Amino acid sequence: MSAKIDPILLSVYARTFKSITDEMSISMEQTTRSPILCEAKDYVTGLYDGDGNMLEQTENLPILAFSLAPVCKYIKEYFGDEIYPGDVIFHNDVFSLGNQNNDVAAFKPVFLDDKLVAWTAVKGHQADIGGNVAGGYNPNAVEVWQEALRIPPVKVVERGKLRKDVWNLIFANVRLDIVQHDMKAEMGACTVGERRLLELLKKYGVDSYESHKQALFDATRKMMEAEISKIPNGNYSGEGYVYFDGRHVGSKFTIRVDIEVQDRHIKFDYSRTDAQTNGFVNGTFTSSASATILTLLQMVNPDIPHNEGMVQPIEIVIPVGTILNAAYPKATTFGNHLCPPNADAIQRALAPVMPDRVTAGWNNLLASLTTGIDPGNNEKYVDIGFMGLKGGSGGMLGTDGYDHIGMIDASGGVLDQDYEMFEQQTPHTLIKHELLPDSAGAGEWRGGLGVETIFEIGSDDTQLVTFGDGDFEPAFGLFGGGEGGLNFIRLNYPDGQTVVPKNKDLITGVPKGTVYHQVASGGGGYGNPKKRDRKLLREEVRNGVISKEAAMRDYGMTEADLK
Amino acid sequence: MTLKIGIDVGGTFTDFVVTRDDAEPAIFKTLSTPSDPSIAVVNGLTDIAASMNPPQTLEAFAPGIDTIVHGTTVTTNATLTGTGAKCGLLTTEGVRDALEMRRGIREEQYNNRYTNVKPLVPRYLRAGIKGRLDRGGRETRPLDLDEVKQAIALFKQEGVQAVSICFMNSFANPVHEQTAAELVRREMPDAYLSVSTDLLPSIRFYERVSTTALNSYVGPKLNHYLDQLVGRLKGIGFKGLLLIMQSNGGVITPQLAREKAALTLLSGPAGGPGAGLFYVRPHGQNKCITTDMGGTSFEASVAVDAPMIKNDGEIARHKIALPMLDIHTIGAGGGSIGWLDEGGLLRMGPQSAGADPGPACYSKGGTLPATTDANVVLGYLDPGFFAGGKMQLDVAAARQAIEEHIAKPMGLSIEEAAAGMYRVACNNMAQGVREVTIKRGFDPREFPFIPAGGAGPIHSCLICQELEIPLQIVPRESSVLCAFGMLMSELKHDFVRTFVARFESIDWPQLTTIIDEMASEGARQLVEERIPEARRRYDVKLDCRYIKQYHEVSFLVPRELIAQRDTTAIARAFHAEHNRLYGYSLEQENTPIEIINVRVQAIGVTDKPAYREEAWADADAAHALKGKRSVYIPETKAFSEIPVYDGHAMRFGNRVDGPAMIEQETTAIFVSASFDCAVDSLGSFVLFQKGREDLCRSGFSPTAAKEPSMVSG
Repeated sequence: MSAKIDPILLSVYARTFKSITDEMSISMEQTTRSPILCEAKDYVTGLYDGDGNMLEQTENLPILAFSLAPVCKYIKEYFGDEIYPGDVIFHNDVFSLGNQNNDVAAFKPVFLDDKLVAWTAVKGHQADIGGNVAGGYNPNAVEVWQEALRIPPVKVVERGKLRKDVWNLIFANVRLDIVQHDMKAEMGACTVGERRLLELLKKYGVDSYESHKQALFDATRKMMEAEISKIPNGNYSGEGYVYFDGRHVGSKFTIRVDIEVQDRHIKFDYSRTDAQTNGFVNGTFTSSASATILTLLQMVNPDIPHNEGMVQPIEIVIPVGTILNAAYPKATTFGNHLCPPNADAIQRALAPVMPDRVTAGWNNLLASLTTGIDPGNNEKYVDIGFMGLKGGSGGMLGTDGYDHIGMIDASGGVLDQDYEMFEQQTPHTLIKHELLPDSAGAGEWRGGLGVETIFEIGSDDTQLVTFGDGDFEPAFGLFGGGEGGLNFIRLNYPDGQTVVPKNKDLITGVPKGTVYHQVASGGGGYGNPKKRDRKLLREEVRNGVISKEAAMRDYGMTEADLK
Repeated sequence: MTLKIGIDVGGTFTDFVVTRDDAEPAIFKTLSTPSDPSIAVVNGLTDIAASMNPPQTLEAFAPGIDTIVHGTTVTTNATLTGTGAKCGLLTTEGVRDALEMRRGIREEQYNNRYTNVKPLVPRYLRAGIKGRLDRGGRETRPLDLDEVKQAIALFKQEGVQAVSICFMNSFANPVHEQTAAELVRREMPDAYLSVSTDLLPSIRFYERVSTTALNSYVGPKLNHYLDQLVGRLKGIGFKGLLLIMQSNGGVITPQLAREKAALTLLSGPAGGPGAGLFYVRPHGQNKCITTDMGGTSFEASVAVDAPMIKNDGEIARHKIALPMLDIHTIGAGGGSIGWLDEGGLLRMGPQSAGADPGPACYSKGGTLPATTDANVVLGYLDPGFFAGGKMQLDVAAARQAIEEHIAKPMGLSIEEAAAGMYRVACNNMAQGVREVTIKRGFDPREFPFIPAGGAGPIHSCLICQELEIPLQIVPRESSVLCAFGMLMSELKHDFVRTFVARFESIDWPQLTTIIDEMASEGARQLVEERIPEARRRYDVKLDCRYIKQYHEVSFLVPRELIAQRDTTAIARAFHAEHNRLYGYSLEQENTPIEIINVRVQAIGVTDKPAYREEAWADADAAHALKGKRSVYIPETKAFSEIPVYDGHAMRFGNRVDGPAMIEQETTAIFVSASFDCAVDSLGSFVLFQKGREDLCRSGFSPTAAKEPSMVSG
């Protein structure tokens, strides 16, 4: 067990683990069929050791990322000594450490000489997983069974043999056939990872692997501890706000974080956070913890490898029964989207002591999904409006926010639809998709700009689902920086009527010719806007992303400055 | 006698390969002249003339050159350094920011200091014009000519040098773009103009507008450079054919390169992959992995019958959707710097010391330890014979840099640290090769490995061991492989049209018309290039996908199948390619297939340099033995005295068992303890895993050859 550590071989292991999870990710991107997987890359691939400790991950959508290792440990305990070579285990259950019902994972144990040495796993957002509403976003849900089929750890393949009965039971409860194909793609990617890992282990031997992976965890933990040590010891608190639980108009909830930094250890305590809602706006422990970790990761050295050592110095306390960790059997589908207010709370708490690492507020997510029958080919279309939902990020010391990046839980990992493909695959006509001038919070380092999206709906009896926030409270500014703007979605019907959906809503019967109008606004600004580089401002006014009026009003530019 | 010269302008050196019917290819290198790269071209030609027997003046030599094929990094560098033309864009009202927003990607998700790239056209010069076509190309709103004129007036006032035009849905109907283009030509006759439907009439707006804007961005610079080059060549009396290397591995005339400058964005390295195929043929192979290790980067690509092509490339984070060779680049080269991260792990690159100041051993002011420094310490490079002795390497400086930055902090000896740097660098390159093979659905173990670039063959044994590749082929010309490959290239013209149709409802007459139109456009260009009919070829490809997929698979379709309307056979080819790439097909499920694009590549077959096979010499290489040197052997993790051979003296059949060094003026080859080497009939050094003589078909007396199987075990 205690093979000597070769510092060079350690680098080789680290680089190879990363290349394996990247390869698994490529396999997923190219083989899945649901656009939320192959276009938006809403999935994570990972390697774990025999005990379920994270070895490496490729985290296309970080909000899913930090629930895999806890589930892996859970599965190992669940099956005990009944885990065999060739098994594949599925899991999505949010009450056994899953993060969201639609995020369904496949786990594959890796054996070498009859010894369980590692796991490969893939978790992706599936287009449907049963429940009352196709696609899973059911604003009226109050219990998990109204949202989805629960999958606690279940073996779909045992010793290499597909358990047809189990497979059919699962997919008899799922609406779309492509989910079967996409779960096969997850299994395929696990096999790709298993193959590569075994090549590596055969080359260097299990003893070498065991001791070097421990050394890798230690080295990574030291890197993370070094970053945490840079934060002064103390206790810091912040708040973030959630508007509307989908059922009670006017409802508002507060996320409260108390952060304790003690030398090389950091603790996030959410005990003072508001109680869970009686709707689907509730987090699960792992989705909320992922939000915490991904926010912290943006404040530290981005080169730290993502393995167990990285998370060891981080302690997260979220009592059951709060909005961030709902008690069984509450509805939780909106939980991933509690990441933005959670991140707000953390940024606000740490801003006074890490002014060079935090960002001002990011634009919160407000998204929509349209479905209907395309009159061009009489076929059903489903469109997730990715291009409409991507607002700006917050400014930070020395760097402006990123324009049109989208919610912090994806941080630029989710792409817009291409405009021409959008018009091929839906009956809609795009009228506008451009940066929205003056949407960013002013600042010495301004927020990222938001976008304005307008299209004409091309089908009758169209159904529109909205889910999100950011229409009550704009992204906040820091240290004298200004706020971003508010999100909205509006429908202008052909008869002149205007409908403004709630931020979690279901609108049916939208007629052809309706103009859909959405703003995903900008991020908050950082620092005194009067100190912003004048040359840069002149360019921005010339480029029309900041109006002349705003330049004079918010940034103190004079007519002479603008010349 | 046919005299052909391939010229590859690199960052440090400009490489030349000279081929003649009556002599072996000759290699020349001269220092590049970045401010005007054509100066180095003339300098090199002067050297070549002087090397003739008897020596000639440039003026006497130049008129005898039949063909020059030229690879240039002018457009690549302009894009990478952000020094292209001042550009304006005419696009559809409401979408003028697509070019800047890049579909909303931030490549480094956890890095809040990672900023967007500067757009190729500033926002105030991107004009959104009223006028609209629907998804089928039907006009729903006429083009507003007044707005076009206002935009042109602004462009003139602002001194815009190049204009791009890209409208929504123009792939289905180019009429609005053509109308706007006429106005631009009339009002701005001196401006460089790029029209999206002339360049790339295929669906996907962002890809098309980005490609069009790139073309305008680099067009004026390339034109200026070609003016200089053509002028200088004319000045020295060159009367032959000048061809420019393009990113798809083919060549074009300078005139076409001027119009479609974006075709040259990958001109430099595009000669390599095709050349690789040439060298594997004597071994009964039709495929290879070609790699090129330079000062800052390592490039890898795959060829099966022909080099792999991709239609979704990227340069400096800008999309380019013109077909280009699928060459994967990582930051690993001789100048890559070794460093320890905060966790104390050894990393190599991607920061590079480049050529200036270069590695510590160059004695040009560099103090950080680079890959080349490790190679000197490990004995792979002879400090007195670097670049054939033209440059003396400072071993003490290399040792000091490694000691200070790697060995001491890690508690290792200098030699251990150097060995670690070497190993990590090789591992990085091996992972780069994995990406280009696995992503294309290939198993790297089934491919012969061609290491090119001066430092490539020093690292290739360890890379191949990492990847379990049993066969390497090091061409004599490996240090100038791209220049050599340029001489092997055909004239190639790519055409694409979007044609959205399901397999069960294809409009065959229309499909045939589209293909014929593209083929006759190709024929027109080949005629202009004086390619006789017998040497013209047209390859048809379809981009297809299963219904509701988002990524298309591009595959070759024989024209007979289209003439016969044989959807069954075409579908079978699609299922097979999908299965090869992604490990499954949906053939059993009867999932409908749809066509998205139709492509035609018009090929004009050029005259290739004659390459004579050598006569069998003997297995004994003793005559080439230069001496012995202490070299680090990775297998034993120790230094050992091993024989050093003069590569120039080695002939067909000569055999050297590893571990050994083989040195040529521009390349050193390290044969590790796991490989043996034999020289083949083309003069290449063939390194095969010990005991796998069967892989080296040409290299032993002809009776030894048997059927090779690349995957061992």
